[in-house]
Amino acid sequence: MKIIAEKINGTRKRVAQAIQERDAAFIQNLAREQAAVSHTAWVDANAGTAPQREPDDLIWLVETIQSATDKPIALDSANPKALEAAIKVVKTKPMINSISLEPGRRDIFPIVAEHDCPTVALASGEKGLPKTQEECLDNIARLLEKTRSMGIRDSNLYVDPLAMTIGSGIQNGLIFFDSVREIRRRFPEVHITCGLSNISFGLPARTYINRVFLALSMQAGMDCAICDPNNHDIQTTILATELLLAKDKHCLNYTRAFRAGVFNKPV
Amino acid sequence: MSQELIDLVVDMREDEAVKLAEKLLDEGAEPLSLLDDCRTALGIIGDRFAAGECFVPELILAGEMLRQIGAMVKPRLAAGEAGEQKKLGRIVFGTVEGDIHDIAKDIVVFMLDINGFEVMDLGVDVPVARFVEAVKEFKPQIVGLSGFLTLAYDPMKNTVQALADAGLRDSVKIMIGGGQMDDQVAAYAKADAYGKDAMAAVTLSKGWVGAN
Repeated sequence: MKIIAEKINGTRKRVAQAIQERDAAFIQNLAREQAAVSHTAWVDANAGTAPQREPDDLIWLVETIQSATDKPIALDSANPKALEAAIKVVKTKPMINSISLEPGRRDIFPIVAEHDCPTVALASGEKGLPKTQEECLDNIARLLEKTRSMGIRDSNLYVDPLAMTIGSGIQNGLIFFDSVREIRRRFPEVHITCGLSNISFGLPARTYINRVFLALSMQAGMDCAICDPNNHDIQTTILATELLLAKDKHCLNYTRAFRAGVFNKPV
Repeated sequence: MSQELIDLVVDMREDEAVKLAEKLLDEGAEPLSLLDDCRTALGIIGDRFAAGECFVPELILAGEMLRQIGAMVKPRLAAGEAGEQKKLGRIVFGTVEGDIHDIAKDIVVFMLDINGFEVMDLGVDVPVARFVEAVKEFKPQIVGLSGFLTLAYDPMKNTVQALADAGLRDSVKIMIGGGQMDDQVAAYAKADAYGKDAMAAVTLSKGWVGAN
């Protein structure tokens, strides 16, 4: 299980302030604590600022994160100019977050193709979020036609079927698990990811929903998640689920995590 | 007024609420009073939502109950009475150009609708010119701009500017909302207010049409 560590996101108030004030120590701390978790594969960097400022802000974020950790960065923007600017300063091959069939994301495909980057591929279509499972799978099939025609390898894609909140439709969990299974079956090379907390939007006590959703999604075939890697519930759920799905040889990750104190209740 | 009906709707007892409404109508209750009860119940639910005691799926269920009871009431209204269900006001709503997010927008439109507004939903990725056209033709008191991404800041600003250029700015109040929006973005876009969720949109709108 790979985690795209989500906390350095300019749409969070405190991070926005740190970007504005060029508070490097704050960003470095967030980068360090997220990178310290072994499942963290990428540290996401989202400047979340107005388009004119975004290239400069994203470059600053990348350089600041790189001064704290060697983990690769997920460049999170819908703005090709910001992505192109930031890709020049990354030390290791970044992930691009994200491409989709939305018209506004068209110019991101060539960047992914040119740099041979892993990339999040959203299942949204030209006219918005998929309304049905069929539309979701159809969008993904058409997206893959496009990426394949541009020489982007399936194994570089982290497909996000876009989990809809369970609060607005009680079938949305089942639809998501089915979609994950169907993507696995039809496109065995791609990875599957999602923003973990969307499922529980609008509901109370969200952590219980999120962690069981994570376990069930992993069982269906999801192998990546965009989430907070330092969340105790998420960490422990990943360890236990990988163990139960035979992804932890000799249970070593689990027992090592125990000895490292990962299962101790957070204070 | 039926306190029992209000309580059933507030307690999310869908089947019982619908049955009671049916029974009350059969017994000759004033059809419009049932709708008033539903609105009273929705007001209570809205307050609970704002206080964090009630949640999105319950808002949706409450709206569902109101729809069912509304459908029952409608055929029993005398021709003239239908007019008495006066709408509080007209609202043009849409997700701005370049943004295609609709989940939260749909919830807001739905809540505005069941709270008595007539809403023209323009959908997602709505070009600036389409908003101008809709304001001219529908003559709303309020315009709602939705956007999830930071990329929506400028289209929001452009939409407000276009309404000003068309001489329509003073005829409407403009509210914005969505994932990355806040009061600062509202100021940047020169909108009148930011609303953090569906109930905030209802409260703002009621305030603007003097219906609070």
